[in-house]
Amino acid sequence: MSDMESSVAEKMPTVSVGETVARRDASGDRPRQTVFDVRDLTVRYGGNPALAGVSLEIHENAVTAFIGPSGCGKSTFIRCFNRMNDLIPSATVEGEVLYRGEDLYGKDVDPVNVRQLIGMVFQKPNPFPKSIYDNVAFGPRVLGWKQELDERVEQSLRQAALWDEVKDRLRDSALSLSGGQQQRLCIARALAVEPEVILMDEPASALDPISTTRIEDLMHELKRDYTIVIVTHNMQQAARVADMTAFFSVDVSSGGRTGILVEYDETQKIFTKPSDQRTEDYVTGRFG
Amino acid sequence: MARVTFQEELEQLEASLHEEGTLVLRSLSGALNALVNQDEELADEVIEFDDEVDSRYFAIEEGIESLLARQTPVASDLRFVLAVLHVNLHLERIADYCVTIAKLVKLAPPVAPERLFVDAFGEMGARAEEMIRVALDSFATRNLEQAESLVQLDELIDRANRRFVQHVLSFGRDPTLREWGLRMLLVSRCFERIGDHAVDIGERTAYIATGEFREFTDASH
Repeated sequence: MSDMESSVAEKMPTVSVGETVARRDASGDRPRQTVFDVRDLTVRYGGNPALAGVSLEIHENAVTAFIGPSGCGKSTFIRCFNRMNDLIPSATVEGEVLYRGEDLYGKDVDPVNVRQLIGMVFQKPNPFPKSIYDNVAFGPRVLGWKQELDERVEQSLRQAALWDEVKDRLRDSALSLSGGQQQRLCIARALAVEPEVILMDEPASALDPISTTRIEDLMHELKRDYTIVIVTHNMQQAARVADMTAFFSVDVSSGGRTGILVEYDETQKIFTKPSDQRTEDYVTGRFG
Repeated sequence: MARVTFQEELEQLEASLHEEGTLVLRSLSGALNALVNQDEELADEVIEFDDEVDSRYFAIEEGIESLLARQTPVASDLRFVLAVLHVNLHLERIADYCVTIAKLVKLAPPVAPERLFVDAFGEMGARAEEMIRVALDSFATRNLEQAESLVQLDELIDRANRRFVQHVLSFGRDPTLREWGLRMLLVSRCFERIGDHAVDIGERTAYIATGEFREFTDASH
């Protein structure tokens, strides 16, 4: 190879785009950190497993989407990330969920601390019947964070792209807001306690298309500072917002209905050339 | 939740593409006959016939636009639709080369070609036709091996083109003969390009089948 050829080769390195996206975070060259490392997770409500044998890693500063048909266990799964299943008496969790290397289900771990670090937004907006301000200030007050509360409330509302719409009526009831605004308020409420991760379980399924777009845009903004995990019924929503997508399905071979993880990969791969025929059938609408 | 209407639309799109392919084969056959028989009337028909191909081309493109807007195809469906978008253009370009051949038939001075040239055109025309058929068949059956065989077929048409160039270069100083030779070089080049487009169609078949786009041969050197 001549000198000239070698310098051209240096300027035009061969780069596998997909590989690069998977390994690096959105902001630059740092390799992606693993936030959650799930190992062989099985969840039961009573006898039959609702979800069995799931292993995957969730990356920092990325949006990870869980998709799949009804009953595939995707909501059960996302609830494991902040121990929401603890609130259901019959639920048992086997396997491991490591959060930054530490067992989330360890004996010394306080679920309340877990839920502060790992916030959750639900399908239906569920603001408290209080003022807009008090909804956002509630979490910090519970934690005893009394300093600069106004600033904290403003910052959270700004991050949730709601500030401009509510700044002149912070003392109005949260219930006076539209559905889309209420959902962004719930996101602001989650952000106010400085979480690292935000879990969203069908966050836009009860919203109109414009409010849905705002939530989706918000996810793009928020992933710079947070790690986001979302459950969605809307495959195109996963395609639009997620960096990584996990497809869950229902296994009926054991007689019951058990959710299983079929495929987990970059979103682009899932929607252009999935590796598993079951994923292909689901995303192309040939399922069932 | 099987998307019946969507599947029917995809099948309709593929059927339209193969109809376009049939039209292109007719165009090639007409251009070849006009060339070998120096039939200017047939050449005019080939030129006019291109409107048929073009209207099919636009209909397919509109169909794809509509499918993308309404149905949001993904995975193998997406790859198929993108492949059709490309194959549609390749077929339209092949038809354009047929028109160019027909126009050159009309432009070339009336020289009775030697047997050698008639045979060369016959060979290149037959090879081009075979390549289009193989390209369309392998697309229809998603047959990767058959699609890859287009590379060997293309080599044959390339060689025929190079031989043709050598023949023309051996022409003397007769201006009429030289003009004829110049026109026929362009005809030969058209056949060669038709072969390239057929290979490109094969590459789209491979893309549907494998999910990876790659050129069968590196054309950069």
